[in-house]
Amino acid sequence: MGESNRSQQPITESVSVRLYRALLRAYPSDFRDHYRTELVQTFRDCHRAAYARTRFSGLAGLWLHTVFDLVHSASIEHFENLGREDEAMNNLQRQVIAVLGCIAIIIAAFVLQAYVRNHDVRSLLLFNYVLDPLVVTGVVGNLIVFVLVKATSFNAFRTALWTFLTVSIVLLLVAVLLGLSVDPAFRFGPVLIGYVVSFLFWVGVHWLWSRGHAEPQTA
Amino acid sequence: MAKKNDPEPSEFLPLTPAMFHILLALADRERHGYDIMVEVQERTAGEVRIGPGTLYGSLKRMVASRMVEECDERPDPEFDDERRRYYRLTDLGLRVARAEAQRLADLVRTAKRKKLLSKA
Repeated sequence: MGESNRSQQPITESVSVRLYRALLRAYPSDFRDHYRTELVQTFRDCHRAAYARTRFSGLAGLWLHTVFDLVHSASIEHFENLGREDEAMNNLQRQVIAVLGCIAIIIAAFVLQAYVRNHDVRSLLLFNYVLDPLVVTGVVGNLIVFVLVKATSFNAFRTALWTFLTVSIVLLLVAVLLGLSVDPAFRFGPVLIGYVVSFLFWVGVHWLWSRGHAEPQTA
Repeated sequence: MAKKNDPEPSEFLPLTPAMFHILLALADRERHGYDIMVEVQERTAGEVRIGPGTLYGSLKRMVASRMVEECDERPDPEFDDERRRYYRLTDLGLRVARAEAQRLADLVRTAKRKKLLSKA
């Protein structure tokens, strides 16, 4: 009788462990991959203890408890993962909206610029001085900000502030050098105002964005 | 000693029963998963049984919130099992366990005052 029990134990144990290992598929893959060995080892220990205590009735109790635990804990793990996926999806949506918003502003400025030039609207001439830097710094600055924010853990608003400051200064210098060399009637004042307004506009857009979607994890 | 960036223990309260039992099990020494289960079962005379899924799910969250950490050093090789991970309480975990114990003690005091508990 004793020998029969001893020989039955490894068979029931290996069947139970195989079954439990198969049931672990109920967990999300990241949890399963990280804890599989320990879950199986712990279940095996429980199995041995239950079998040593009360043989098969102990195993029935163990399985009842294990299945209940599995359903309960797997639901919690999946629920947690759903929350993380929602958060990731919301972040992605926000980023897509931000990029589309910047593109829309640049296109609108570009269209307005073309209209002002084609129709020679003199009252909007100063406006035209703003549209040029708005488009150019918008394209260059937003591209740099996007890459920096994606590739580093820098604060998004500070990155935008320093990027647009640098880009605006560099482009202003280029515009001044080119203007002075090719246009005898070049006027520095309106160009400077245009770049200052453009800088304030883009930094303002990023400031509003960062206030609306604060990211406390970024330092 | 509390670290500068450690969150307040009260932020984690109330703990789930499983988490509190795990903290209690780790209060005296580091243990591996099955050892925690056995300790809880023995301490509660079989009243509380934590299944493997609940145990490792709770440990995962407690490691993430820095209440518990995996041990780098292995115990005495005679009692060690390479397949197992050993867990121990952090200072934050100890403070959270104390705060939860205090919260429960306050509740018990209130229950006594309302004569919901017998003196025995």
